[in-house]
Parts: sequence; structure tokens; C-alpha cells
Amino acid sequence: MNVLVRVRVAVLERTIASGQVPTAGEIAAELDLPVPMVQEAYARLGEAHVFVCEPGDPSRLRMANPFSAVATPFKVTARGGTYYGNCVWDSLGIVSLLGGEGLVETSCPDCSEAMRLRVEGGKLVESEGVVHFGVPARRWWDDIVFT
Amino acid sequence: MLLFRSEEHVERAGKTRGAFMTTEQIWRLADTWYHDRDDPAWRRRSADEAEAVFAELGLGGEFWRLT
Repeated sequence: MNVLVRVRVAVLERTIASGQVPTAGEIAAELDLPVPMVQEAYARLGEAHVFVCEPGDPSRLRMANPFSAVATPFKVTARGGTYYGNCVWDSLGIVSLLGGEGLVETSCPDCSEAMRLRVEGGKLVESEGVVHFGVPARRWWDDIVFT
Repeated sequence: MLLFRSEEHVERAGKTRGAFMTTEQIWRLADTWYHDRDDPAWRRRSADEAEAVFAELGLGGEFWRLT
């Protein structure tokens, strides 16, 4: 496996195991690689729109998609762990990545009423509301945090 | 990509109207998009491949174009 693949897989596996998106230092220690090499991998994965880098900090990711490195209004419970998704798409992506069993808890951005999406056995068994995309697909990565 | 109680709630929130998707569509999209993200063999979809995924979910038109 090349370095980018090793780093991508290690970041996701560590996030799944710990609930926290790892720093470049943590991945460097795990893979026995120099920290600058992992920082470079983070940058290249960001440029490739696989992950999203934390501006001004080469050792951190803002998003290890589908996971968010920071708390968001999308809380995901799956496979015994608790995570944050970047949006409703990514939150359900976490549920899929973790085997298709899980719960997404969020709230309506208008009225703040709690909303839940539950997946069991790979099927959406509890859902409510509608999903709104405010930005056309071609412009998603112009400002991915806003998107 | 946010989850609202209804289209009325999107308007009340003052959001510019974009595109809507059902919760079933977003689950199918998320499942297709992310189920294998931790597989070493995974690779990012090309724009054409992503558009094909959208089309399979009934998401067509200019809003969903990447090319």
C-alpha cells in the first residue's frame, strides 16, 4: 500500500475505534512514519477532496469524511460508539461504514425540534423530514464547510 | 445538507431554495458513497461516476451536474 492509502485507512480505523479524528502525530506513531510525511499525506488527501484539512494546522483534519473532527448538530451512534457527521449525508455514511446499524440525531435548523433517522439491517426504519441541498453539486467544494 | 421538518421549514429558515431529497434517497446515497470508504482499494469517484450515482437515485438536472 502506498502512503496515502495507509494514512487514509489508518485515520478512518482510528476514528472508528476512538471516536476522535487523529492528529498527524498519532498516525505517524501508529504507522512508524515521520510526522512531516503524514502531514504531507493529510495535505494531499485534502487537495484530492478525500478529507478536509484544518486551516493553519498541518497536523489536523477538520473532516475525515464522513466523520467530523469537531462537534456538529449531527450525532451518530453506531457499533457502540458515538461520532459526529459533517451533514446528514455524511452522518448516514458513518452508519453505512459501520455496518448499516445506527442512529442519527439532529434537529430542524428552523424550529430546533429534534429529529432522528434510524437504520437497522441496512434499511432506513425510522425517518422524518426532508433533506435540503443549498449548493449545486459543482460548487460543493468551493466552501465544503459551508456546504 | 441539512434535515428539515418540511419544505416550509426551509423557507422559514430563510435558506435559498436548492434541491430536495427524501430521507430514503439520502440513505441510499450515503450507503453507496461511504460503505467501503475504509477499504484500501477504495478510490474517489470521477465526476462522471458521481453523476451516474445521482442519476440512479433519480437526481438529475443542472443542480446535480459535476461536469
